[in-house]
Amino acid sequence: MDVTNIAEITGSLGVVGYGLAAIGPGVGVGLVVSKTIESIARQPELAARLQVTMWLGIAFTEALALIGLATPFIFGV
Amino acid sequence: MTQPTNIADLLKRVLFRGAILILAVGVIGGVIGYLAVGLPGLFSALIGAAMALLFVSLTALSVLVGGKLNLGGFFAVVMGGWLLKIVIFLILVATLKGADFINGPTLFITLVASILGSLVLDTMAVTKARIPVVQG
Repeated sequence: MDVTNIAEITGSLGVVGYGLAAIGPGVGVGLVVSKTIESIARQPELAARLQVTMWLGIAFTEALALIGLATPFIFGV
Repeated sequence: MTQPTNIADLLKRVLFRGAILILAVGVIGGVIGYLAVGLPGLFSALIGAAMALLFVSLTALSVLVGGKLNLGGFFAVVMGGWLLKIVIFLILVATLKGADFINGPTLFITLVASILGSLVLDTMAVTKARIPVVQG
C-alpha cells in the first residue's frame, strides 16, 4: 500500500523542541514570580522569607529548562 | 557549623558549595569521559561543568544582587537575568552542538548531574538555614 503524505513537514524539528523546552519553564517561572509578588503585596514583612522560597522555586523550574535545552547533545537534530 | 541567618549569607554559602560540587562533578566526569571516549570526553565534561556552574550560579547571584534593590528592581534583575541566561544557553548549545571536540552524551550527563546535585545542595541549605520570619 502506498503511503501518502497529507501534510509534509520540512525544516528542523529541533527548533520545535527548543520552543517546547522554553514554554513549560517559562510558564512555571512566571507562576512562581507572580505568586511571590502577590504574597509580598499581602505580607510585605515576609519578603525575605518569600524571596528565598522563590529562588528555590526558580532553581527547580529552570533545571527543567536547562535539561530540556541541552537535549540536542544527546538526540541530535 | 553555624547556619546562615539572612539571605545574603545563605546565598553566598550556596554559591560556594555549589561551585565546589560542580568542580568535583566536572573532574570526575572528565576522568570517566577521558577513559570512555578520549580527549573529547574530557573537554565535554569540563565544558558541561562550566556551563552548569555559570547557569546555576547566575540565579543565586541575581537574587543576591537584586535583594539589595527595591521590589521592582529585584524582580527586574531576577527575571532579566533568567531571560538573558536562557538566551546565552541557547546560543552556546547551538554553537557547541556540531563541534568535533565535543562528545554529546558526556556533556549532557555532566550538565544534568551538576544541576541535580546543586539542586540538592540548594534545598539542604534552605531547609537548614535559620532565617527569621520577620526581618527589620
